[in-house]
Amino acid sequence: MAAANAPSYTLRYFKVIGRGEPIRLLLTAANVEWTEEHPKWPQEKSNQPFGTLPVLIEKRTDGSPDFVICESGSIERYLARIYGFLPADLKQAALQEQVRDQVTDVVTAFVGYMEAASEEDKKAKLESFDELLDRFMTVQTKHIQSNGNTGRLFGDSLSYADILTYVFYKIMGIEFAKYKPEIMDYLKPKLTPEIIKFIFTVEAEPKLAKNVLKSGNLSAVVSA
Amino acid sequence: MSADSDKPSYVLRYFDAIGYGESIRLLLTAANVEWTEERPEWPREKPNQPFGRLPVLIEKSTDGSPEFLICESGSVERYLARTYGFLPTDLKKAALQEQIRDQLIDAIVAFTGFVRDIHDEDKNAKLKTFEEMLDKIIAIQTKNLKSNGNTGRLFGDSLSYADIATYVFFKNVAIGFVKFKADIADYLKPKLTPEIIKLISTVETDPKLAKNVLKSGNLVAAISA
Repeated sequence: MAAANAPSYTLRYFKVIGRGEPIRLLLTAANVEWTEEHPKWPQEKSNQPFGTLPVLIEKRTDGSPDFVICESGSIERYLARIYGFLPADLKQAALQEQVRDQVTDVVTAFVGYMEAASEEDKKAKLESFDELLDRFMTVQTKHIQSNGNTGRLFGDSLSYADILTYVFYKIMGIEFAKYKPEIMDYLKPKLTPEIIKFIFTVEAEPKLAKNVLKSGNLSAVVSA
Repeated sequence: MSADSDKPSYVLRYFDAIGYGESIRLLLTAANVEWTEERPEWPREKPNQPFGRLPVLIEKSTDGSPEFLICESGSVERYLARTYGFLPTDLKKAALQEQIRDQLIDAIVAFTGFVRDIHDEDKNAKLKTFEEMLDKIIAIQTKNLKSNGNTGRLFGDSLSYADIATYVFFKNVAIGFVKFKADIADYLKPKLTPEIIKLISTVETDPKLAKNVLKSGNLVAAISA
């Protein structure tokens, strides 16, 4: 139950995992009141501050004006810092923040493959995706191992980096797999025991229980 | 003014370009720390980078503690901006500056897509997206500058991260992008409002940046008729 004086939030986004899910999970883990709006698109585009989604609106109980923030990364870092999912130590925070760009690179590579027109281009893009995914999952596995293989990337409680990375695997294994099931041929062989444990740990986290399975059961997908 | 010897020193690894390195160069300059730049041979040095990409920032402390490496331009920029006071500690105020940078990068990415696409249809669609984003950025920035008293600063009364990011964005468009689209500076100039022009000249003449800002070109000159 959220504290009486805590702000409440509205997230405006589409009904997909995409760039909204880390925000949903941060709001859930923060244990604040929040709702979601799904603006009609593109009719509502010009009503958004930057013409894009997601948008986060923070409403305080003291009557002060709403605080509106755009751009998924900025929204995520704002919530993560306020609610303690990013550390105050600048170096430690930077190490978590950089994870976001790494997962974005891999997602972008796969989107490139999905959008490729010629067979030649498809092949090249798939190879480049495979390489990036391989490097990412190798580095992640080492990282989880050096953090004691507890299913956490940093420290001993749920972090921003944990949420980002979990959502990344969910985008690959659930969202993209819907359109391009062949992605599993590339993802599955690279799932090390450390990464599987990581996925199970985040998905079983009590702080996320209220909402985490609404977008699908990733533990089931990686166990199949 | 020599750099403070108790402060760490830095190595920036990047290409000989404005791109995603210039904001870092300007933050290091404004922070008045010792720093050097390495230009790794590319793609030969790709596997030697933590994530196979540039920029990479290496922080060397004076107390013997191990080097700290950070990758990804946004994370590098925000780390330096927070450490050296160019992003406020107030989380809301910091988020308002960070979102500006994210929006600017969206536009750069759209332009990069235009450059990389092979088919004219895709190219034209990406260019149109870039142009729409540019118009939006100019409108929002102009509003912000006006409501901050049209002092040539986006926030408060001294050089901020958002000022640097915005200056570098326009430098990328008016100077960096010319090799990909020869007429881009002529395309940009008529869109620039007096408020944005004032921001550009205010940043380019900031004493904190004097040491390095013109090395990548003179943006005020590039946007003048």
